[in-house]
Amino acid sequence: MLEMNDISRVYRTDLVETHALRGLSLSVEAGEFVAVTGPSGSGKTTFLNIAGLLETATSGSYMLDGKDVSKLSDNERSRIRNEKIGFIFQSFNLIPDLNIFDNVDVPLRYRGFNGNERRERIERALEQVGLASRMRHLPSQLSGGQQQRAAIARALAGDPAFLLADEPTGNLDSLMARQVMDLLEQINQNGTTIVMVTHDPELARRAHRNVQLLDGKIATSNPFTPQADVADIAEPAMQPVA
Amino acid sequence: MEIRPILSAMWRNRTGSVLVAVQIALTLAIVVNCMFMAKSRIEFIARPSGMDIENIITAQSLGFGSDYRHDETIDADLRALRALPGVIAVTPASGIPMSGSGSATGYKTSMDEDAPRETANYYRFDEHAEQALGVKIIEGRGFTELEVRRADDENYDRMPPQVIITKAYAERLFGDEPALGQLIYDGLNESAEVVGIIEHQYGAWVHWSSFDNVMWFPQRQEGPSIRYIIRAEPGQRDALIPVVEQTMQELNSSSRLVRNVRTMEETVATSYEGDFAIASTLIVAIILLFVITGLGIVGLASFTVRQRTKQIGTRRAIGARKRDIIRYFLTENWLMTTIGIVIGTVLTISLNYALATAFEIERLNYVYLVIGMGMLWLLGFVAVAEPARRASNVSPAVATRTV
Ligand SMILES: Nc1ncnc2c1ncn2[C@@H]1O[C@H](COP(=O)(O)OP(=O)(O)O)[C@@H](O)[C@H]1O
Ligand SMILES: [Mg+2]
Repeated sequence: MLEMNDISRVYRTDLVETHALRGLSLSVEAGEFVAVTGPSGSGKTTFLNIAGLLETATSGSYMLDGKDVSKLSDNERSRIRNEKIGFIFQSFNLIPDLNIFDNVDVPLRYRGFNGNERRERIERALEQVGLASRMRHLPSQLSGGQQQRAAIARALAGDPAFLLADEPTGNLDSLMARQVMDLLEQINQNGTTIVMVTHDPELARRAHRNVQLLDGKIATSNPFTPQADVADIAEPAMQPVA
Repeated sequence: MEIRPILSAMWRNRTGSVLVAVQIALTLAIVVNCMFMAKSRIEFIARPSGMDIENIITAQSLGFGSDYRHDETIDADLRALRALPGVIAVTPASGIPMSGSGSATGYKTSMDEDAPRETANYYRFDEHAEQALGVKIIEGRGFTELEVRRADDENYDRMPPQVIITKAYAERLFGDEPALGQLIYDGLNESAEVVGIIEHQYGAWVHWSSFDNVMWFPQRQEGPSIRYIIRAEPGQRDALIPVVEQTMQELNSSSRLVRNVRTMEETVATSYEGDFAIASTLIVAIILLFVITGLGIVGLASFTVRQRTKQIGTRRAIGARKRDIIRYFLTENWLMTTIGIVIGTVLTISLNYALATAFEIERLNYVYLVIGMGMLWLLGFVAVAEPARRASNVSPAVATRTV
């Protein structure tokens, strides 16, 4: 499904070079649920962005669904993001001016589906996340957990082959986090491959496999038996750069 | 395509859009009315004068002292000026058409004391007037040399027996009847026969409603002042001005002053100065309004793009191509512009109605409304282009990198 080989990512600013990823190799099989953990600044988001075609690697090869995606045009990358990948963000990233229905509609419009098909997909996705009754609400009228579920509906509505989640529970309390996690598990059981970055060891344990990043490399890749909480070790004072 | 969600997003952030839409509406109303008024002024300035203004030089001779001989000076001037190479024709003149100064009096078509009088702006010219002014006599004839009375003629104060009048004046005097050969009467019931009809010629006052009521007498203006209307061959005018001045100076500089040797164009421009100022002010106002409104649109769009950076990144992340982002902002801006234009159309028509009622301005020609709309649509498009392009360059990675 996803195969990365010797991926490196260097951020260059006028003053510094940051090696966010240093020769990362990873493959994820179809249907897998992989949790990526690691201390802040270890390269988790960078990895996810490259996996999701939001940015490109400085070097290395990346095959998605058996296809080399490292040299695609911007439009082709947009199309793959739209059709094959679903994104779930830490801060939900719903569009505040659109109601839930219209938010879920956004990627479907880019996909070019007609009105009826979009409506069906939106209703199905919102039903699946338990928000069918909240379609006409604005994001600000929903709780954090509901917003994240709406975002999951948006990610699911296009039937992506895989779902990428960056700290999907990072802004939720533990009860809501567990509900979202339940939902992700259920989605995975329906056949969607999931790669999830998380800080929470308890959630990580529920994945099929844990991948631990440290300093832009995989420290351990451990099916079913996650390690001690690397994430809880003292965090380096590094902030992601916007 | 995605008009409904764009509209609802706009509605939720309406303050800026409403302000700019109102700005667009006001701009349309003001610009269209200004454009229309400017156009009226420009058309007014551009009305055909009937004369060959571009090639005419005018000059004035002002006699003084007891040695001054008016008719002899004119004889000598005319002989010398007509001999200058590049000169087509010269006529002595009592005044300069379109200069803002001239004489007028009322004439009748019968001896009847109570007959209505129609005012004409009259000139004293000689037999070269048609050529010198470059006007066209469409009926009858010009004056003959013998008809032209010198200033020392004993009958100078009486009405000369022949006149030439413009077609416009002929129609005002005689209506549909042919004017050629008819008699006209002055206040003392002295009469003159209409021997020629001029196709079209402006009188002295460009703002006078009967500006084309013009009459010529075959006479020399009495002294001590005389003017000359000198028509040059095309392209010779400017070179002739100093030659004319020098020629006149050399003939007589002891008992007269040579003054105001200049192009007729200058004289006409002075008469239209006010109209020109109004038209230019209106045009400057139009341009300024466009610039200000354009800046308003750029400002709002840039602000929106900056404010929505994360949203744009998210849209990119979930599948928008660059062109989808550009289209989003163009559509949003187009909607705002269109709302402004719709409101503006109502305002434009009301404003014109109010102006037309209050100041007797012409009613608006709706072509100008359509032009104004088109210009604002284009302005909106141009103004939003750069912010939209910037929006399309927001990286999809922004979706995961901003909080
Ligand atoms: N756009 C960027 N420019 C410069 N440095 C960046 C940028 N994005 C991330 N980094 C740096 O790359 C490293 C990895 O960041 P990130 O992948 O966000 O880590 P994590 O998600 O594990 O916290 C960090 O040191 C971060 O500061
Ligand atoms: Mg991160």
